[in-house]
Amino acid sequence: MLELENIAKLYGDKVILRNIRCSFFAGSISLLLGKNGAGKSTLLRIMAGLSRPSAGEARYTDSAARSRGIGYLGHATFLYSGLTALENLRFWSDAWGSNRCDDDLLSVLERVGIMPYAHELAGVFSRGMAQRLNLARVLMLNPVMLLLDEPFTGLDEVSRTVLHKEVRAARARGACVVLISHDAVVDAPLADRILLLADRGLAFDGAPSAYAARACMEDAPWCA
Amino acid sequence: MLKNPVLACILLVAGCFAFACCQWLVYVYAPLEATMGIAQKIFYIHLPLAWWALVSFFVVFLGSICYLLKRSPGFDRLCAAAAELGVLLSGLALVTGALWARKSWGIWWTWDPRLTTTLIMWFVYSGYLVLHGLEMPRQRKTVVCAVLGVVAFLDVPLVFISARIWRSVHPAVFAAGGGGLEPEMKLTVIACVFAFGVFWAGLLLLRMAQLELCARVQALRQGE
Amino acid sequence: MVRLIAAVVRKDLTLTLLRGNGLVQALLLGLLLFFVFSLSQGVGERASPQSAATVFWLSSTFCQVLIFSQIYALEEITNARFGLLLVPAPIQAVWLGKAIAGFCLLLLAQLVFLPAAIVFLGQTVSGALLPALLALLLVDTGMCALGSLIGALAQGQGTRESLMSIVFFPLLVPLLLAGIGVCSQTLGTESPDDADIWLRLACAFDAVFFGAGLLLFGFLYSGDD
Repeated sequence: MLELENIAKLYGDKVILRNIRCSFFAGSISLLLGKNGAGKSTLLRIMAGLSRPSAGEARYTDSAARSRGIGYLGHATFLYSGLTALENLRFWSDAWGSNRCDDDLLSVLERVGIMPYAHELAGVFSRGMAQRLNLARVLMLNPVMLLLDEPFTGLDEVSRTVLHKEVRAARARGACVVLISHDAVVDAPLADRILLLADRGLAFDGAPSAYAARACMEDAPWCA
Repeated sequence: MLKNPVLACILLVAGCFAFACCQWLVYVYAPLEATMGIAQKIFYIHLPLAWWALVSFFVVFLGSICYLLKRSPGFDRLCAAAAELGVLLSGLALVTGALWARKSWGIWWTWDPRLTTTLIMWFVYSGYLVLHGLEMPRQRKTVVCAVLGVVAFLDVPLVFISARIWRSVHPAVFAAGGGGLEPEMKLTVIACVFAFGVFWAGLLLLRMAQLELCARVQALRQGE
Repeated sequence: MVRLIAAVVRKDLTLTLLRGNGLVQALLLGLLLFFVFSLSQGVGERASPQSAATVFWLSSTFCQVLIFSQIYALEEITNARFGLLLVPAPIQAVWLGKAIAGFCLLLLAQLVFLPAAIVFLGQTVSGALLPALLALLLVDTGMCALGSLIGALAQGQGTRESLMSIVFFPLLVPLLLAGIGVCSQTLGTESPDDADIWLRLACAFDAVFFGAGLLLFGFLYSGDD
């Protein structure tokens, strides 16, 4: 679905990423790990096409990814505070060119549990509710490529479960999911594959079991 | 890169020398104009200024297109240097033009299409320089400046035509200057334009070298 | 692409007219200009048609700067710009959508400015109406095509409005001359020329900056910071 070829990114003269080379496939969930400032978000933005790599190329081999759009959930919510939750969803679904009636949109709101607030302005939403609405925005578009940048920030236990369920459903649908998380212990069971960014490059790329074994050898805190 | 300042200095010295020689042409060789007398000599400095100002703006236009296509910072420096030079020269051309108008037509300012176009260009490119001096991410700033560089030059013919129409609506009593030049005058003007061109090229290269040095110093400082 | 344009237009108009403080700021500024300019006439005097036309277009231009700064700021708060960039449609749709939204808002503002010109500056409509209407539409089109581009250019800047003004005003000169030329004729200036030549100039301006907008917007509205 997506191939990264020797991606490098510099901010000024500072190297953030270099020599990133890997492929992502349909129907899989990849978990992207790394310390703060390791360049996880930058890499995800490059994958989404929101940032131009300083060298190398992020190439979509599947034309569907381009024509159906990329679902991206980042730190910013992309919501208009002057529109209600429902209006926000309607705007993004219209912009995407997907024909969805209000009932459809309401059912998506139901799925993330903010149906009762459908007609309230997004500007008054708390961080967690805005994040859920943001999640609804991404999910309703049924993208073939789903890029999630710390989607669990601000979510409670219930919402986290909902999100886990939705991510699995997306994989079952054949979507390619890439997920950034701080909590490897909780989110690792979800993933088919783990990528670790360290020292500006890809330090590990493999199955979760192999990662756990490696992590234990290195006596990493998450193995405790 | 080291060649740049050397070449620039050679051009600058040669340009100064050639322009100094042109003064002999201006004051000795070219005949005194019958109606305007000695004040007509302004013409020999005004024309090269105006000409090379326009060429500077054209260089900004070309450099901007190249930057947008190639994204090489060298083109951005070329544009910045040319825009500074263009604003300086067109400013001087405006002053000399106003002096000329005062002597020739008895007023400081008139809706002469060329004069008006120069003034508007002076405004536009001054705005360009303001934009160039703003604090914003470098990448963003260079793109924004390049776009403005293209748009600004597209405006030149429109401004010229509109000023010409405007003048016909408000009939001006003054005939546009120039007209039939005597051969000696023509030769002198051509020599002046050429000599000033050499000086202009030297100045442009020198400024580019300075800007490049500036960028390197900044990069080194950031690296510390 | 058409869907994205329509969605952007609807969203911008909803947010500006129904949810925000709308056009109030832009309208007040325009009306103030009319009022202040009316001070330049002595008591009982009437401004020349050309002055009135000039103030009308000046107000429109200021209004335009505020409108585009406002509708491009909508995407800034939660970085919705990135969301729009991910939409699988040409990004020029955003430029066009915002230009259309700005056009509607500008026309609304001008509906207020026209009576203001007549009341404060003592004008009467004595010339042909059709060329004036045509000029209004053509000039507004050009202003919006360029305004939408300049709005994207100034986006994210603290000094957005002043930056837009210094870039926008000089570029707009040909169009302003055309607008003033035709409108002052309608308000009664005798002129040997037809409005034709001005209308043609406005068309040329529109064409040039429509092309420029389509070609250049993609560079301005991109993800890289």
